[in-house]
Amino acid sequence: MPTIEVNYSELETLLGIELHDNMERLDEMLSYVKSEVKYFNKQENIVSVEIKDTNRPDLWSVEGLARGLRSYLKIEKGPRNYFVNTSIVEVNVSPTLKNIRPYIGCSIIKEIELTDNIIRGFMHLQDKLDQTYGRSRQKTSIGLYDFNQISAPLSYVAVKPSDFSFVPLGFEEKMTLSEILEKHPKGIEYGHIVKKNDTYPLLIDSKQKVLSFPPIINSNDLGRLTEKTRNLLIEVTGTMYQTTINTLNLVTLALIDRGGIAYSATVNYPEDKFYSFRNIVTPVFKSKTVRLDIEYTRKVLGLDLTAQKIADLLLIAGLGIEKINKSSVDVIVPCYRVDVMHQIDLIEDVAVAYGYNNIEPLWRDLPTTGSMLPNQHLKDVARELMVGLGYQETLNYTLTSQEKLFEKMNLERQKVVELVNPKIVTMACLRNWLLPSLLEFLGNNQSVAFPQKIFELGKVTLLDDLSETLTRDEYWLAGITTHPISSFTEVKSVLASFFMNLGVDWFLEKTSHSSFIEGRVGKIIVNKKEVGVIGEINPKVLENWNLENPAAAFEVNLHKILF
Amino acid sequence: MVDFRVQELTILSLLGRLGGKVSILQLIQESKLSDSAVMRAGLTLKEKEFINIYSEPSTVVSLSSEGKLHAEKNLPERNLLNSIIGLGGSATLDKAYAESGLSKQFEQIALGWIIRKKWCIFDSKNRLLSLSNPKKLILAGNDEKLLRYFLGKKPVSLDSITEDLQSAIDVLRKRKLLYTEEKTYRMLEITTLGTEAVKEAKIVTEKVTQLTPNLIISGKWKKLKLQEYNIKAPVAKTWPGKKHPYLRFLEEVRNTLVTLGFKEMTGSTVELSFFNFDALYTPQDHPAREIFGIYQVKDPKFGDLSGYAQTLEKVEATHENGWKTGSTGWDYKYSRSEAKRLILRGHGTCLSARTLQSKNFDVPSKFFSIARCYRPEVVDKTHLSEFNQVEGIVVDEKLTLRDLLGVLARFAIEVAGADKIRFKPDYFPFTEPSVELSAYKKGYGWIEFGGSGIFRPEVTVPLGVKVPVIAWGLGIDRLFMMRSGITDIREIFSQSLDWLRRKEVT
Repeated sequence: MPTIEVNYSELETLLGIELHDNMERLDEMLSYVKSEVKYFNKQENIVSVEIKDTNRPDLWSVEGLARGLRSYLKIEKGPRNYFVNTSIVEVNVSPTLKNIRPYIGCSIIKEIELTDNIIRGFMHLQDKLDQTYGRSRQKTSIGLYDFNQISAPLSYVAVKPSDFSFVPLGFEEKMTLSEILEKHPKGIEYGHIVKKNDTYPLLIDSKQKVLSFPPIINSNDLGRLTEKTRNLLIEVTGTMYQTTINTLNLVTLALIDRGGIAYSATVNYPEDKFYSFRNIVTPVFKSKTVRLDIEYTRKVLGLDLTAQKIADLLLIAGLGIEKINKSSVDVIVPCYRVDVMHQIDLIEDVAVAYGYNNIEPLWRDLPTTGSMLPNQHLKDVARELMVGLGYQETLNYTLTSQEKLFEKMNLERQKVVELVNPKIVTMACLRNWLLPSLLEFLGNNQSVAFPQKIFELGKVTLLDDLSETLTRDEYWLAGITTHPISSFTEVKSVLASFFMNLGVDWFLEKTSHSSFIEGRVGKIIVNKKEVGVIGEINPKVLENWNLENPAAAFEVNLHKILF
Repeated sequence: MVDFRVQELTILSLLGRLGGKVSILQLIQESKLSDSAVMRAGLTLKEKEFINIYSEPSTVVSLSSEGKLHAEKNLPERNLLNSIIGLGGSATLDKAYAESGLSKQFEQIALGWIIRKKWCIFDSKNRLLSLSNPKKLILAGNDEKLLRYFLGKKPVSLDSITEDLQSAIDVLRKRKLLYTEEKTYRMLEITTLGTEAVKEAKIVTEKVTQLTPNLIISGKWKKLKLQEYNIKAPVAKTWPGKKHPYLRFLEEVRNTLVTLGFKEMTGSTVELSFFNFDALYTPQDHPAREIFGIYQVKDPKFGDLSGYAQTLEKVEATHENGWKTGSTGWDYKYSRSEAKRLILRGHGTCLSARTLQSKNFDVPSKFFSIARCYRPEVVDKTHLSEFNQVEGIVVDEKLTLRDLLGVLARFAIEVAGADKIRFKPDYFPFTEPSVELSAYKKGYGWIEFGGSGIFRPEVTVPLGVKVPVIAWGLGIDRLFMMRSGITDIREIFSQSLDWLRRKEVT
């Protein structure tokens, strides 16, 4: 979920209404565009807005938010029209880029006044687009340059990492591309995107001056903007054509909204069947027309809306109407509404404009029969019995560590479901038995009155080659008692009562298990199958978990007994 | 009023009766309790400030073995006297000796003392012994009383002997019937607080505390008065076994959903990315799928999608270009190996996707799941890395946005007990339109209680579902936190036994 910080006064100006610091009102307005106020810092004049829709990059700037809201507030109906002047720069794309980063789009913004606020707001938008819409620069990345210092035409080429060197933004000396990947913070962060290829993308002008090494870093000469910069070149490179163009459009529109005048660039792609086009003039502010079926709209919404009403609501949602047909409406979707993939996206806009709270909820009694999972009842019975036997139920994490599952239990490590990306070492794999959870729990409660008797009926996850996820979950039950005179006899008596009440025939067989005291541990046998273990906990294990009293415990696999 | 153990009461009332300050030694004798029992009771009483304990030097008087004998059988002169009286007030010495039953060694002693005490006159010529004053009753002297005082006792301290009797100590010592020694003794002294308690203790000792099987069977209980208790006195705590409050709450939610006609679904903790994301139209490069959005399994890395070949093809086409769904798709190259990536499920919606894929349902149908879900969050007051989600679907031909709002409204009332509800536009990659539900409950305020929507055609069409499907999820953790008055989400997995023991069952 993108969160953006916008300048409060700018938001008021762009909206054209005064909010009088009323955040509740702003919050209500923002709900139209699935956003909400996170906080308002009056001193800094900043409102933080969270936008839930990860697919509406047109809202990720103060200009875009204002544009989105103005239509819902009925200040400005329908889409906003944007104009771009003819092409004034050519960009030649080298054929070697097709497998690396094949697409580029450019635009030029002239006569823009770059105030501190605009620069800051713009950097924010660029970052959000790079991170979220551009998938951390993997899919698209944006660069901005001082247009006056650039000599057209531009060349978008692929070069060997050591063949080219330039001064990257924020540094003072020249570095080769490989040095940038090693030393520059952005090179370290994003280097993985280009490293898989032998050649790296580079954007240069006709004098061989480097604009940027996309998607890593701009040059320090051409890529540094100041408050004196009036004319800008915007460049977006990417791996997907439409996303590249969309990103360029969004950036260019934000600057037009700030009073800049836009000019196009012509991108010349090489003659290669990889590309289905040759010359593209960018940005592409072309809207698309989507035919919205009236019957479908009514069916989805459950509202008896006329075509005219639907058209009116779409205008409020900031969309345009090309024409109203007998059974459909031809809707103009402006270029910045990149989220519209299907009629259904327009139908939601109709509903939002109609107002969710103006729609009467309908509960129909469908002829369905409710039911729990077949083993739910048995699980509840097992829990009820343990509670009746005086054991307190606990709820523990299934994420744990090998240290807890094995070392602390005085066992050899076994293979378990481990994670690639644990947040902390103590939550790095899924548990394959329950007792470590219970011992950890007791270890945290040594100052609480004894006797302590607890249990958990919970999931363990085991590796299983026969399953499509190569794992399977099972419900197990473990109980443990600890106090100065806890014993095998005590816990065996509990287990006996548990099994008796479930009508399970069982017996114990001698076994060896290093978590338990030798000679005071048995495996539990039901139907000739081993279903669990019972015994007095090894003092070594007690010590590992900081338990001061003896403890006796059992653990059984309910799948082998009940389900 | 304070509770006493029987022994404590015995000691305290003895102290009261014996003048307030008594040696341990004497208490042991008086109470007939063992040394350790008296000491234990004494220490408890001291803790309660009913007594003080201190050491004091004391003269201890003990009987010699001869003294013990005389204490039991009277002094020899008394025995001789009794025999004279029995023989009519006058008898020859030999006869009197014989009658007295005295052993040889005490005969001379008896004669000496009977004369010295002027009880009899001895006519040495005729060896005749006669009462000095036949009409006078000869009462026990202090020496005899003192001897009798020792009867059945261990050594006693000098202080505990009355002044009258003390006068006889010297005489008896000279007769070697007793001896004295200087010793240091532990003394117990009752305090004012203790004296107050003793007054009540007197009553207590007269009644029976514990009704025993013996008393009931023998019928003795009829003659007994059972001691009254201080029913307001604090008692030791009893901790029952209880269900975990959060699991109890989930049970309640489960029951409500079953009553509303929903069928429970289940699935595995480790899930294929395909069902967690792809089948739910979440593009493969979506940030939620990166390492900071979802837990990835280290080994095995990839699961088996071979059972879903046809669905996979359709989902792939839908992602790339919309396939036959009427959508443009996401415009990227779909990766089948990414679809097979094993992860820990990030939401319960993957179970809905699996149910739809299975086609193992009727129209209409309603499903729900209570699923443990995982996300790589840093655990803090508002985030868990592992949590439960309650969610599900409604499948029917005639479903509209109005039904969606109706389902949410019903949940708000039945599950959250809401007084008022409010809807807001929401966003999920797999639903459109999407709705957020807020519920208002008196005393709690507004909470975001649910997220929901109608599955996008890009979700249902590739799974072969031709009717609308409402998908919903409930903010169950926040509801539980509100109801239990907890503000830290980590308390759901509370590691505090004390909290679990004290938590009221609601």
